[in-house]
Amino acid sequence: MGDEQMKGYRQQPGKLPFKKPGSGGGKPFSELRDLDFIPESLDGRLAQPHGENRHDYLLTGSSIGRRTPMIDDRWKVTGQAKYGDDIRLSGELIGRILRSPHHYAKIRAIDTSVAEALPGVEYVLCGQGHKTLFGVLPVTKDEHALAVEKVRHVGDLVAAVAAVDEATALEALRLIKVDYEVLEPVHDMRKAIDDSEHPIHDRGKYHIGESNVQKRVFQEFGNISAMKDSLATSAAKWKFAGVNHGFTEPHAVVAHWDPSGRLTLYTPQQVPHYLHRALADVLDVPMHQINVYRTFVGGGFGGKSDPFPHEMCAAIMARETGKPVRITFDREEVFWTNRGRHPSLLEMVLHADQQGRISGIETDALIDGGAFASFGHVTTYYNGVLHTAPYEIGAFHYTGARVWTNKPASGAMRGHGAVNSRCAVESGIDDLCDRLQVDPITFRLANLLPPHSTTITGFRVTSIGMRECLERVRDASGWVEKFRKMPLGRGIGIGCGFFISGSGLPIHWDPNKFPHATVHLKVDMDGGVVVHTGAAEIGQGSDTVVAQSVAEVLGLPIEMIRIKSRETDTSPVDLGSYSSRVTFMNANAAISAAMVIRADLLAAAAEITAADEKMLVIGDRRIYVKRDPAVGVSYLEALHKALEDRGALVSSGSYRTPPMGKSHKGAAAGLAPAYSFSAYVAEVEVDMETGQSKVIEVWAAHDCGRALNPLAVEGQIIGSCHMGLGQVLSEEMVYGRTGHLRNANLLEYKIPTVHEMPKVTPIIVESNDPEGPFGAKEAGEGPLLPILPAVVNAIYDASGIRVNELPVTPDRLFRSIEKKIKAEEVDNALQLPNPNLQYSDLQNVVEARALDHGKRDDERQLDVEREPYHNGALFGLDPAIAPEEQTTDWVISLTPDEDYLADPRLAGSAWKHTERRHMGGEN
Amino acid sequence: MRTPPFNLHLPTTVSEAVQISAELRAEGRETDWIAGGTDLLPNYKWHLNTKSDVISLARIEGITSVSMTEIGAMARLSEIADGGEAHPLIAAAARKVASSLIRNSATLGGNICLDTRCFWFNQGEDWRSSIDWCLKCDCGTGADCRVIVNQNELCVATYQADLAPNLMVLGAAIHLAGPEGERSLPICEFFKLDGMTRNVLREGEMVVKVTLPDEVGQWQGEYQKLRLRESWDFPEAGVAAAWRLGGDGTLAELKVATTALESIPRLHDQEVAPIIAAGWSGEESITALAKAIQQTVKPVNNTAFPPNYRKKMTRVMCERALAQLSIN
Ligand SMILES: Cc1cc2nc3c(=O)[nH]c(=O)nc-3n(C[C@H](O)[C@H](O)[C@H](O)COP(=O)(O)OP(=O)(O)OC[C@H]3O[C@@H](n4cnc5c(N)ncnc54)[C@H](O)[C@@H]3O)c2cc1C
Ligand code: SF4
Repeated sequence: MGDEQMKGYRQQPGKLPFKKPGSGGGKPFSELRDLDFIPESLDGRLAQPHGENRHDYLLTGSSIGRRTPMIDDRWKVTGQAKYGDDIRLSGELIGRILRSPHHYAKIRAIDTSVAEALPGVEYVLCGQGHKTLFGVLPVTKDEHALAVEKVRHVGDLVAAVAAVDEATALEALRLIKVDYEVLEPVHDMRKAIDDSEHPIHDRGKYHIGESNVQKRVFQEFGNISAMKDSLATSAAKWKFAGVNHGFTEPHAVVAHWDPSGRLTLYTPQQVPHYLHRALADVLDVPMHQINVYRTFVGGGFGGKSDPFPHEMCAAIMARETGKPVRITFDREEVFWTNRGRHPSLLEMVLHADQQGRISGIETDALIDGGAFASFGHVTTYYNGVLHTAPYEIGAFHYTGARVWTNKPASGAMRGHGAVNSRCAVESGIDDLCDRLQVDPITFRLANLLPPHSTTITGFRVTSIGMRECLERVRDASGWVEKFRKMPLGRGIGIGCGFFISGSGLPIHWDPNKFPHATVHLKVDMDGGVVVHTGAAEIGQGSDTVVAQSVAEVLGLPIEMIRIKSRETDTSPVDLGSYSSRVTFMNANAAISAAMVIRADLLAAAAEITAADEKMLVIGDRRIYVKRDPAVGVSYLEALHKALEDRGALVSSGSYRTPPMGKSHKGAAAGLAPAYSFSAYVAEVEVDMETGQSKVIEVWAAHDCGRALNPLAVEGQIIGSCHMGLGQVLSEEMVYGRTGHLRNANLLEYKIPTVHEMPKVTPIIVESNDPEGPFGAKEAGEGPLLPILPAVVNAIYDASGIRVNELPVTPDRLFRSIEKKIKAEEVDNALQLPNPNLQYSDLQNVVEARALDHGKRDDERQLDVEREPYHNGALFGLDPAIAPEEQTTDWVISLTPDEDYLADPRLAGSAWKHTERRHMGGEN
Repeated sequence: MRTPPFNLHLPTTVSEAVQISAELRAEGRETDWIAGGTDLLPNYKWHLNTKSDVISLARIEGITSVSMTEIGAMARLSEIADGGEAHPLIAAAARKVASSLIRNSATLGGNICLDTRCFWFNQGEDWRSSIDWCLKCDCGTGADCRVIVNQNELCVATYQADLAPNLMVLGAAIHLAGPEGERSLPICEFFKLDGMTRNVLREGEMVVKVTLPDEVGQWQGEYQKLRLRESWDFPEAGVAAAWRLGGDGTLAELKVATTALESIPRLHDQEVAPIIAAGWSGEESITALAKAIQQTVKPVNNTAFPPNYRKKMTRVMCERALAQLSIN
């Protein structure tokens, strides 16, 4: 047909037999709407013990709450998922990195001439030409693409080569001559507090003395003077080894500059947006010239949430050569890149008063950051503030310091900053209860903050399922029959957790200006919904949860939702997969976007049926009158009506956190729109003669607000147990006497195998958060916290040994057993006394209060008009008013006074230094 | 990480294998045997003492048999563990080696001839360069041992294979073939005290099989293995014990051997003899023997657990290996 004939042609209505769009399902009419999934508050039968949620009226019954396999699972199990190293572009070069053999050295000169002359070598890169600093936090950018003036740990990046194949690249590395001037390294984090001749970094006028202290925190809240007047005190000095994420896929990156002069960087990243920014800085090109393509991610756990030097190297070398460059790490390099949990020295002192209240927590945390800042600024705060709940406390004193040492950098790892101090607190509570001779579960139940309250540091806590978690693990585990009643060598222990569900403030910008998460939808003729989101699917199921949310609102099967989340070119900005923020923020944004489409569809359906729009509901691919399903239209009919004159429906939804928190310096750290809670009971067997501990069974209750996908929540709980079990029993980055990381491989870095994995009974607690998407909170990180203290406390119940060094490897536990044998003057381990429990009078007090508070919490949960509740009410203050406004006994203090400095704790001694800018002089 | 290139040879008979090896050596090339490769290949990937030529034993016929009295060098550990033919003690020990996946490739010969291990040594090249290498793989630098320093001649890397002590306590003989012909010797004479030489194999000589005495069926035993995880982990200490009961049900003969504590596995006849001579008294004898053995072993700091712990655990492992004899 020629062009002229087409001109002015219009299809006349009715001339061609256009079929009516189908109903989508086989049935012309839907069933009467199932009132079971309509919540009580909306005239349905779904019980709502925890009150309403703002998305209640959006429930269609299609997807939320169903056990849903990950939507990308088939890609993975059939081997078709493309991970970082699976990206093969034609003409690619292989990049390899020359790494420092020294802990700490100045680079005097690098001679690359011989390497460059090697046939097959296309480019040799050194750090000198690329001095732009980057780092995940804008306040602490301290990384380069390659070392510029100094190498800071064994394995630090010195030079990079791009060559035709790997063998050539490796050969070229051998030919690079580096002239080093070796400097005295710092391995011991305690020494890093002191002044040093060559501090590992120089922060100019913000440098803290001449030391290696990167960040220090001092915080006091509450009635500090009353705290020491206690009935019982538990004090312990803890040592936590550093641990690595141990993800399966090593880091890998492919960089390609296309003919239009744009860079596409393929990489398994948790934070594509932050990488996007760092690339623009380092490469000195605008962000719109860069497309960060997130490949499938073979595990991240926080270990792929920094912009990395090797990503910069690949991009630079690809630009210089005009060819794609691929870099894949060996496991050793993964360990040298690290960003795992900080090795820490922690002092934890807990006080309980006459009424069995926690009258004070004093924490001092020195954390070993290794050679770079990474997320460490935040970690330093988290080690303190994240254990100010779920308990109501009388006072909180925290000193924290993060130091640089000549080790691979520590960073964010699942349970970021909260894991170690949580272990110490929960173990301390167990010890307190032992001293007070009360049951530790009852004690906890008598000291919980109520729902919708404010913590001592000013965090706004909404839903709390802590009480239910505790009660359910107590009942499921047979706690009452077992605790302190089992024979020597067998024990049971409890541990709790509290974690942020998203961080309240974005890392990079003013939260009042940009949302945290944005989702775009597009629905066209075929009825399928395309979702554009920047949330990084890292195996945790973020694609699935977004698909579920959209499917739920639109009443569609999940197969009709297509997720496009890979490329920064097409996805709206999302901050990434960290801080357990994705479900809360991204699903909220997705719901908002879907609500726009939903409104379009309802309007169209109302127009066709002439029914009152307010009476219309969405069911399985049909829109109909709630109480008369015969009156309605299919989804496609409604859609096509809505598409008339517009073409594809598009919408955008976003999420930003509400204003919250106090205003002191550091008040933002730990702020979250919601918090998750958990309680685990672990049962262990300890071989008293060898010190070997085996976890037999774990009962794991986690309050995730609402389980959008119970299958995924259970997966997270079980996976967290496994990961935490590694840290508590076997995993450790071992730095030998020379400071070399001794076990940078997966044989000697001891991740528990299937044999070490206990039976885990996941218990999902749904507190229905009022602001979460359909009531959901997080389940990705929080579930890791309680397993450590649960195991540690169970080991005490089994053996009478109070562990305070992790991991509890057999040799460590055996050493403690030997000491105890001496102290108890018995012949062998089998004669050691078993801890026992004879309830004291206080037991009645805490039992009564636990009961009382249970009722209080139930009421608060349902009462929409509830009064504010500030931490401090338990100690006799008016719950409705912030305590510091009521009494001068209640302090908020952020710098140490002279008294403190006269005798500081370990990390606290970092405050003995003066920041350079306060030292007088020009700076 | 890349395995360096090597020439692979695939002989089909023992004599051909020995001949290829001899010819290559005559040309001045160096060779390694490869059986299942579960030890050799990881070491090659790390560029640990790699050779230009590797001779595979995988295609050689007739050296895979498993029976009560004979096990071929190329018998797979999975077959030994689960085939139902091997002596129960050997089968039980094989079951504790590595993981099921690895046991499908791993062989008896490779297990016996396992290279000694040390955390200064079993590392990638970049890593070893950061400690300036060590004696066992000094890359031409004349580097010292990092475990026992300032001596420059002895490597004390630890022998961490599981089967040898069990073969020792059952009185196995090992059969070798080489350019100078075949020879056999008691397996306890096979190992040689040095982490580098490891055993008495001469240039171009290979293990063909092990044999066990005809009456081995009358022996029972027990193997105790200390390790952090129940799969994968090499032994940190291993104690094998085997005994024969007399007609009256009393202890007639007892052998105890240890592994993973020194550069070679060791049979502890010296410690056993006086205790048997004094008359076996069950519990007390066990305690005394376990103590005696603990005192003779000298672990060093080059494996995952600290040496003093491994030493102390030797006693516990020993007591547990002998527990069945406590009411004799
Ligand atoms: C993750 C992991 C865990 C492991 N855990 C254990 C463990 O718990 N216990 C344990 O004992 N081992 C363990 N191993 C080591 C190894 O898998 C086993 O010892 C195995 O039996 C070695 O056999 P192979 O056939 O694979 O040996 P190869 O790798 O083929 O050979 C090993 C060495 O023996 C030499 N060799 C092989 N056959 C002969 C022969 N017939 N004559 C002369 N020399 C020969 C080779 O030249 C080489 O030096 C582990 C290995 C890995 C990778
Ligand atoms: S024992 Fe000494 S020589 Fe042997 S591998 Fe270890 S460090 Fe090297």
